[in-house]
Amino acid sequence: MAEDALWYEAALLVGVTNALNVVADSPLESLEPARPSAEAQEVFAEILAFYDRADVPVAFRRVAADPGYLADLWGATRRVFADNRLTRRHKEALAFAVSVTTRSSFGTTFHLGEMRRLGVGERGAMEVLGVTQMFSSYTKIADTLQLEPDMDGIAAVDPSPAPGGAPLPPRTATPEAP
Amino acid sequence: MPTVRLRDASEYPAPIQKLFEIAKAWFKYDFAQPPAMSRVMAWDPELGAFHGRAMKRAMAPGEWSRAEKEMVAAVVSGVNACAY
Repeated sequence: MAEDALWYEAALLVGVTNALNVVADSPLESLEPARPSAEAQEVFAEILAFYDRADVPVAFRRVAADPGYLADLWGATRRVFADNRLTRRHKEALAFAVSVTTRSSFGTTFHLGEMRRLGVGERGAMEVLGVTQMFSSYTKIADTLQLEPDMDGIAAVDPSPAPGGAPLPPRTATPEAP
Repeated sequence: MPTVRLRDASEYPAPIQKLFEIAKAWFKYDFAQPPAMSRVMAWDPELGAFHGRAMKRAMAPGEWSRAEKEMVAAVVSGVNACAY
């Protein structure tokens, strides 16, 4: 996990997970269109295929009154949850941890279901829950005592460029003043 | 700045200092001082022992690798807005 690319991917996943959860957990039933438009139905079909399920998750139904927005939200969601440098299975575990930590009822149930669907066993789910719980403890202890980071030296800095970008020029020593 | 004075490893009794050495091996990193969290948990060894074992059990490779679990820990810390 030394490459920044993996951490960028994880951070983007955390953001989208939270974005879905805040809408799904809010009392927004009245925003769900009774008869979604044909455009929205097309997006729904992609969502159902991606998750291999019969019902569209509530987070998407609630924004379906604006099919263009729905399509972009879905595009972002599909991108961050699809297999990439991180596996989809691992991403669902991260999303589950985020959802438990933020007390998202929708996210916790949804991502636990996705983890199981993707083959994670009860032991695997318990492992993620254990890590989530332990670090929910450590973080609060650290915050209460206002501990300062002291472990950032463990990981090396990743010198690779941004995707598609040029690598950093090699560092040359600055000549010292005489 | 921490709200308490973090004690140096040398201020802890010998059995705790041994635990700090074990922690170094766990992190595979030669800290000048044990991490602040290790020193905090060592303040109450009876709690620290249970908590530390639970943490090591949770972080041990199983269905997920240690690295995958470290990323879970990092996102939980991030969501909790914990800079440490």
